[in-house]
Amino acid sequence: MKWLDALIQGVLLGGMYAQYALGMALMFGVMRLVNIAHGDLVVLLALIGISASVAFGIGPLPLVLILVPLAALIGWSLQKFVLNKVVGADSLPSLIATFGLSIALQNLMLEIWSADTRSMRGGGIESASIDIGGIYIGLLPVLILVAATLLTGGLDLTMHRTRFGRALRAAAADTEAAAMTGVNPRVVYAYATAIAVGILGLSGVFFALRATVSPADGPAQLIYAFEAVIIGGMGSIWGGFVGSMVLGIAQAIGFRIDPGFGTLAGHLVFLTVLATRPQGLMSRG
Amino acid sequence: MTSTPHLLATRNLIARYGDFQALFSVDFRIGPGEVVALIGANGAGKSTFLRALMGLLPVGRDMVFFEDQPVGGSQPHHMVQLGVAMVPEGRRLFAGMSVEDNLKVAIDHARKTAEKTWTLERIYKLFPILQEKRAAQVEKLSGGQQQMVAIGRALLAQPRLLLCDEISLGLAPKVIREIYEVLPEIAKTGTSIIIVEQDVMLAQRASNRLYCMLEGHITLESLSSDVTRADIAQAYFGAGHEVA
Ligand SMILES: Nc1ncnc2c1ncn2[C@@H]1O[C@H](COP(=O)(O)OP(=O)(O)OP(=O)(O)O)[C@@H](O)[C@H]1O
Ligand SMILES: [Mg+2]
Repeated sequence: MKWLDALIQGVLLGGMYAQYALGMALMFGVMRLVNIAHGDLVVLLALIGISASVAFGIGPLPLVLILVPLAALIGWSLQKFVLNKVVGADSLPSLIATFGLSIALQNLMLEIWSADTRSMRGGGIESASIDIGGIYIGLLPVLILVAATLLTGGLDLTMHRTRFGRALRAAAADTEAAAMTGVNPRVVYAYATAIAVGILGLSGVFFALRATVSPADGPAQLIYAFEAVIIGGMGSIWGGFVGSMVLGIAQAIGFRIDPGFGTLAGHLVFLTVLATRPQGLMSRG
Repeated sequence: MTSTPHLLATRNLIARYGDFQALFSVDFRIGPGEVVALIGANGAGKSTFLRALMGLLPVGRDMVFFEDQPVGGSQPHHMVQLGVAMVPEGRRLFAGMSVEDNLKVAIDHARKTAEKTWTLERIYKLFPILQEKRAAQVEKLSGGQQQMVAIGRALLAQPRLLLCDEISLGLAPKVIREIYEVLPEIAKTGTSIIIVEQDVMLAQRASNRLYCMLEGHITLESLSSDVTRADIAQAYFGAGHEVA
């Protein structure tokens, strides 16, 4: 029972990570752009959401409707004005550019929101749970898992079945060849980053409902997303999801073994995968 | 100047990689439905020339004319809309994607025309093996099959001018023959073709006119049927070269 509970909690935790990993799977896994500010953007959106919910008294659902378009616009601008200038064969320039952005965002958030931790009231949804034979399952984590699954499935279909998805995969495989086939890689990349960051608008709301948020929380979220994508395998949208599950389950089981061991267990699994199957679990290579 | 029947022309085309100048005032023209060969030794600048036409290299606006309009330095996707498509050196397929998805990228972004000359069905008729392999990832294909995908991809852009960069490179003679047999069929649709080749005989046989390039300069321009081996040797290797 104890281990079944750990497994279930791990899957639910994995659902939260999968939200972060999705945008990362798209940007890092497919486009080979490293966005160090990924976690800081989640935190920024969560903090904006918390402040907006307090200031205007709006609930989580309308907040999502505001934050997702806002996040998409941030992503689009990030790509158009920063990353499209450094897009090239290797990831280093994007890493350096977004590293700077990450630091700037953290300082900006500290300035606006101070170092206090905050969270969002969701009208009871954040604490509701169902009791299934002695195992308590939180309603919010289930909702997060369902959302992550639907988004992953939707994005995977988009990548494989749509004009946009084909253009993006083509541009990621060979930017120049895509251009000579009629694709405008910069436009396609701007939309892709809009999607990747747009998803974080939803994640930001879930994050604020589920946990406390402070301006310095970004890097931890970034690491989980990175690890999930690498565990799952570069270039695979479902890979990020599977990697998140592995990470979540490892942490939950580790936590049952010893509360101090939870996070470390996740990192150890990541290192083990890196050492034994560096191409990732879902990669065809 | 009176109306010229040129589909594409370059005037005084210059291209450089940093400090290194790769093309020196290249004057080139091709008419509708014409097949023009561009030959030259390794490093002569043939690929650079095609890349400049495609918009992959920065060149001056009035160095390239398409139907007498200056288009030099346009973005590649604009050139596709004008009607230029390229089969690049080394094929450059979209790795990790299926044959059909590679072709679909071109269909998705093809030049907008009322009637599509090239359809997926027609490409599969031209290269039946591709239909058989349509779900396979392109990396799994043989070199010749990959070249067919690259040609199919370029044709599905509905080009009026097709640029072919060494499509015979690394292929078995039988496969080369197969691929070159489709060129007349492409030309028959009214599409002009520039073929870049190192195999001079092949280039001469497949073209109406030919240019020879040496160290970034055009050293010969002639009807393919008129040109002699001595002319070519002279233009290919430079002045003073003795013909054996
Ligand atoms: N990206 C580049 N940067 C610097 N120099 C380059 C670059 N690409 C080509 N060159 C140089 O430009 C010249 C022309 O090269 P290009 O590739 O156009 O020749 P080519 O005629 O196509 O040769 P090949 O038959 O080997 O394909 C060569 O001297 C080459 O070294
Ligand atoms: Mg070349």
